Amino acid sequence: MKNAVIAGYLRSPFHFAGKGALTKVRPDDMVAGVVKALVAKTGIDPADIEDLILGCANPEAEQGLNMARYVVFLSGLPITVGGTTVNRWCGSSMQAIHIAAGSVRMGAGEAFICAGVESMTRVPIMGYNPSPNPALAKTWPETYYAMGITAEKVAQKYQVTREVQETFAVASHKKAAAAQSGGRLDAEIVAIETPAGPIDKDGGIRPDTNLEALAALKPAFDKDGTVTAGTSSPLTDGASAVLVCSEDYAKQHKLDVLARIKSIAGTGLEPEIMGMGPVEATHKALTRAKLKIADVDVMELNEAFASQSVACIKELGIDPDKVNLDGGAIALGHPLGASGARITGKAASNLKREGGKFAVATMCIGGGQGIATVLEAA
Amino acid sequence: MEIRKAAVIGAGVMGSGIAAHIANAGVPVVLLDVVPKDAQGTDPAERSAIARGAIDKLLKADPAPFMHPRNARLVTPGNLEDDLGLLAEADWICEAVIEDVEIKRALYKKLDKVRKKGSAVTSNTSTIPLAALTRGLPAGFAMDFFITHFFNPPRYMRLLEIVAAPKTRKAAVEAVAAFCDVGLGKNVVFCHDTPGFIANRIGTRWMQAAINGALDQGLTVEEADAVMGRPVGVPKTGIFGLIDLVGLDLLPHVGRSLAANLPKGDPVREQHREPELFRKMIETGHIGRKGKGGFYRLNTAGGQRVKEAIDLRTGEYAPAQKPELDSVAAARGGLRALVEHEDKGGRYAWTVLSETLGYAAALVPEIADDIDAVDKAMRLGYAWKFGPFELIDRLGPAWFAERLKQEGRTVPPLLAQVGEGSFYRTDKGRRQVFGTDGKYHDVRRPEGVLLLADVKRATEPLAANGAASLWDVGDGVACLEFHTKMNAIDADVLAMIGQSIARVQKDDALKALVIYNEGSNFSVGANVGLALFAANIAMWPAIENIIQLGQQTYKMLKYAPFPVVGAPSGMALGGGCEVLMHCSAVVAHAESYMGLVEVGVGVVPGWGGSKELLTRWVTNPKRPGGPTPAVSKVFETIGTAHVAKSAAEARDALFLRESDGIAMNRDRLLAEAKAKALALVEDYKPPEPQEISLPGETARVAMGLAVDGFARQGKATAHDVVVSEALAGVLSGDGTDITETVSEDRLLELERKAFMSLIRTPATLARIEHMLETGKPLRN
Repeated sequence: MKNAVIAGYLRSPFHFAGKGALTKVRPDDMVAGVVKALVAKTGIDPADIEDLILGCANPEAEQGLNMARYVVFLSGLPITVGGTTVNRWCGSSMQAIHIAAGSVRMGAGEAFICAGVESMTRVPIMGYNPSPNPALAKTWPETYYAMGITAEKVAQKYQVTREVQETFAVASHKKAAAAQSGGRLDAEIVAIETPAGPIDKDGGIRPDTNLEALAALKPAFDKDGTVTAGTSSPLTDGASAVLVCSEDYAKQHKLDVLARIKSIAGTGLEPEIMGMGPVEATHKALTRAKLKIADVDVMELNEAFASQSVACIKELGIDPDKVNLDGGAIALGHPLGASGARITGKAASNLKREGGKFAVATMCIGGGQGIATVLEAA
Repeated sequence: MEIRKAAVIGAGVMGSGIAAHIANAGVPVVLLDVVPKDAQGTDPAERSAIARGAIDKLLKADPAPFMHPRNARLVTPGNLEDDLGLLAEADWICEAVIEDVEIKRALYKKLDKVRKKGSAVTSNTSTIPLAALTRGLPAGFAMDFFITHFFNPPRYMRLLEIVAAPKTRKAAVEAVAAFCDVGLGKNVVFCHDTPGFIANRIGTRWMQAAINGALDQGLTVEEADAVMGRPVGVPKTGIFGLIDLVGLDLLPHVGRSLAANLPKGDPVREQHREPELFRKMIETGHIGRKGKGGFYRLNTAGGQRVKEAIDLRTGEYAPAQKPELDSVAAARGGLRALVEHEDKGGRYAWTVLSETLGYAAALVPEIADDIDAVDKAMRLGYAWKFGPFELIDRLGPAWFAERLKQEGRTVPPLLAQVGEGSFYRTDKGRRQVFGTDGKYHDVRRPEGVLLLADVKRATEPLAANGAASLWDVGDGVACLEFHTKMNAIDADVLAMIGQSIARVQKDDALKALVIYNEGSNFSVGANVGLALFAANIAMWPAIENIIQLGQQTYKMLKYAPFPVVGAPSGMALGGGCEVLMHCSAVVAHAESYMGLVEVGVGVVPGWGGSKELLTRWVTNPKRPGGPTPAVSKVFETIGTAHVAKSAAEARDALFLRESDGIAMNRDRLLAEAKAKALALVEDYKPPEPQEISLPGETARVAMGLAVDGFARQGKATAHDVVVSEALAGVLSGDGTDITETVSEDRLLELERKAFMSLIRTPATLARIEHMLETGKPLRN
C-alpha cells in the first residue's frame, strides 16, 4: 500500500463575514485563487492531478452546483481533472483530505487537491432554506441545537468557567498576533483579489484584546450563560487547500513534503455536546497509529468555542503548549468548509517547522461528530 | 433650467444635511469643504477628509438625514482646492459655509470662475443680508445669486425661505424654487431682504418673550410649557421643550446676531438677555437632548426613568410636576379664555402672545408681501400649530387691538386696518386672506397642489359618518378621508370604506378612489381600545366579527372594479398599513413610516397584512431562491414590528411596490395620488386572486428554532415566543406542503385563527392595555 503525504498548504486570509475585506468575493473565486497558487507553489504538473475534492458546509447558491467542478474551471486546471464537493459541515475539508488519503492508499490516484471554502457572508450559516424535519425536531430537539447552545452545554458539563474561556481566547489572539507580526503566517497566505485591491493579511486578530474587554461582553447565546462572542469563533470568509499525493510521487517529482498522513478517524456523539467530538476521534486515530497522546508534538485543535477547546485539551490530556502554536479559530476565524484543510495543513507545516515527530489535527462538527488526522514527520 | 446636478459648499451640519436631502431627491450632488490644515501630501482621501467625514456622520446621524443609506452614493465629496472643477456641471450651487461675509464673498469669486453659465448660486445664510453678500461681485454673478435658507434638519423641516433681489434673474429663482418644492418637498416662502427673514425674526422675538416672561413672572418650566404647548400649540412641546430639542447652545448666537443687525428700538434688540442660568447650562453641557439634558432630562439613576425639570431660579433638577393651572383648563373654551384668565398661566399667555403677535403684525409688509407667508413660515419653521395671524383671528383682531390700546401699547397699522374683520375668511367656499391693500385675496395654491382642506371648505361630502368621509376631489376621483382620533380604524371606518366602494361603483361620474387624509398620521392602526373592551367582557364573537369584517372590506378594496390609490403621510401602522397594502397602487409621501406592528400589542396582522406581505415576498423575483427565504423575511419584518423610516425604506420591506409612487412634497400628495388613479382608470382590471406555495411545518419549526435562540439570548420575552409561534403558524401555511398551494382565503382564515388565539391570552390584553395607557409596547 502506498503512503499518502501532504506536499503543500496554502490558504486565503481569513476575514469577518459581513464586514470584512472578503465580503465581495465569490467563494468559488476565492478558493480558485488558492488552488491556482498551490499548484504554482508546489510545482506539480497539473495534468497529474486526479481530482479536486472541495469541502463546503453549505453547498448552495454561489457554493452550489458541485462547486468543485467550477473551481477546476476557474483555477485553470486541465479539463481531465475531476471535481467533487464534500460536506461534513465543519469537518468538510478534513474529510476531503481523508478521501484523498484513502484513494492514494488503494491506488486510485497519485495526486489530489484537497480544498475547502466558506463565504459565510454570501451563504448564511443555516443556508437560505433551513428546513428541519418537524418530527425529529419534536422528538429529539437537541439534534437542531444552535452551536452556541452546545458550547454552553459543554461549559456546564465540563465546568469550564467564563474566566477560563476568556483566558483561553486572549491567549489565542496573542499567539495569532505574534505569529502575524513575526511573519509566521505570511508563507501560508495567498493574496486574494477584491474590488478594493488585493488582501493578504488576516482580518480578525485582535492583538489588544484582554480579559477586561472580554468580561464586558454579554452572553451571546444564553442570557444566563458563559459563552460570548469573544469566546466563540467568528463567522468568517476564507478558503484553504493542501496537496495530497503518494509518497512515491512526491519523491519522484521532488515535491516539498510537509508530513506523512499516518492515520485518520471520525466519530459520532450526542449532538448537544458536539464540541467534545475531537476527544474520541483523536483517541481512535492515535490507536490506529499505535501512538499515545504523549507521542504528539504538535496539535491543531479547531477552536469552534473556547469552552469545548479547553474541555477537549483537558480530556485528551495534551500539554496545552503543544496546541495551536500560531493561535486558533477564535482569533483567525472559522470559515466552516475551509477550517479542516487549514488545520491539517497548518499541523503539517508546524510539525516540520518545530522538528517534531507526530502531529494531530482534530475538530468538532455540528450535529455531534469529531474528526482527526495523525501526521508523521516525513 | 432643470436642476439635474447640484453642489453644496461647506460640509457642516447644515451643508451636509442639505447635500443629503438633495441626494434624497435622486439628484447627484458634490459636497466640498476646505482642505484640513494638517493635511500633508496629495492623497485625495486626506485632502477631502472633511467632506468625507461629513458623509460618514450623515450615515450615523439620528434622525437619519438620508431617506435610504444608498443615497449616500449620490454625494461626491471633495475639497475647495482640487475639486472646484466638479462645480462646472452643477446647475445649482448652494453655499453653507461659516457666517462671515468676507469669507463668503471670497468664495463666490472662486465659484464664479468655474461655475456653468446660467447656473444658480445661493447662500444658506440666516443672518447676512443679500445686498451685503453680492457687494463688489460681478453683475453677472449677482444676477444668478440669491438666498435659500433651510431649517435644521433639512430633511425634516419643511420650510425654505428664499430671498431674492429685484435684479435677480427670475428664471434662476424659479428653477431652484421649483426643485426645492417638487424635488425636495419644501414649502417655499419668499421673504424680503431683512434681518432674520421671517421665521427667525418672529421666532426669536417669541422665544425672548416666552423666556423672559417665565423668568419675570415666576413660572416653572413645566408651567410655561403647559400653557404654550397644548392649549396654544406654539409649539406642541412648549418653549423649553423646543429649546431642548434644537439645543440651548444655539440660542445666544442667533439672538445676538439678529439683535446686532436690527435697528435700535426693535424689541428683539431691546429685550435681548442672556440669563446666567442659561450660560451655566451651556457651559456644563446641559444644552438639551443632544447634550446631558437641558430644561428637562431623563434621570435613569436608580434603574428607573424619571423625567426631571430644572428649577429656573436655582438650576437644580427635580422630578417634573404636572402643573395645575385653571387657565389651562379654561383654554378649552378658546384662546381668548386663556389669555383673559387671571391666574399666572393666563397672564403669561397674554404677555407672550401679545408681544409676539403684536410684533409680527407690525412686520408686514416689511418682511414679506403677505401675512399668509408669515403664518406658513411660523407653522413650518417653528412647528407652531397656527401662525401669528391665525392666532390673532382666534383671539379676535378687534378685541386684540382694543386690549393693546387699553394697555397703552401700540396697535400695529395692519391690525388697525383689519378692524372688525379677520385676517382670514371663507368666501363662497374659498379661503381668502387680508392684504396690505385692505382687500381680501384668494389664497392661491401653487400649481400641482391640491389640499383636501380646500375641497372641504368648498363642498359637502358625498357620504360621511363620525369616523370617515367621502369627498369629490374632481375629475371623477373620490377621496376617502379618515378622521377618527389618530385616524385609528374602527367599525365605522370600515363601514365607510365599504360605502365608498359601493358609491364609486354605482356613481357614473366617479371612476377612481383615493384614500388620503391631512392628519399628522395616515392611520396608527386598528382601534385596539375597542378590542380590549370586547375582550374584557368576553365578547369573542364580536371580536371575530370585526376581524372578518376588516378582512372582507380590505379584500373588496383590492378587487374593486376601479383603481384605488392609497396616499399616506406620517405613520401608517398596523391596520393603516394593511389598508394601503390592499390598494391598487400607493403614492406615499416620502416621510411615510409604514409597518405591521401588531406584535407590539400581542397579536398578528389580521386584516390581510400577513397575507399580503407574504404574497409579495413569495412572488418577488428579486428574493433569494427556495421556499424559505420569503417566509423568513416576512417573519422577521412582522415579528420584530419593523417600521420603515421613509417611503424609500418601505420599498425595501415591500410595504410599497416598485410601481408605487413617492411624493416629496406633502402638499402635492393628493394631486399626485389623484393623477396616479386617473392614469390607471383606462382598461383597469382588478388583480387576479393569487395562490402561493408555502413550505409548511418545516418552516414553522425553523422559525421556532430561531425564536428559541432569541429567547435564550434574552432578546425575546415569554410572550414574544407565544406571539411568534402564532405568526409562524400563519406564515408557514399551517399544515400545508411545498407541493400544494394556499389560497388567499385560507391565509385569511389562518390570520383570524391566530388573532383569536392570541387575543384570549392575558399577556396580549396586558400589552393592549399598556399601549393604550402609555403609547409604548409592553415587554412581557
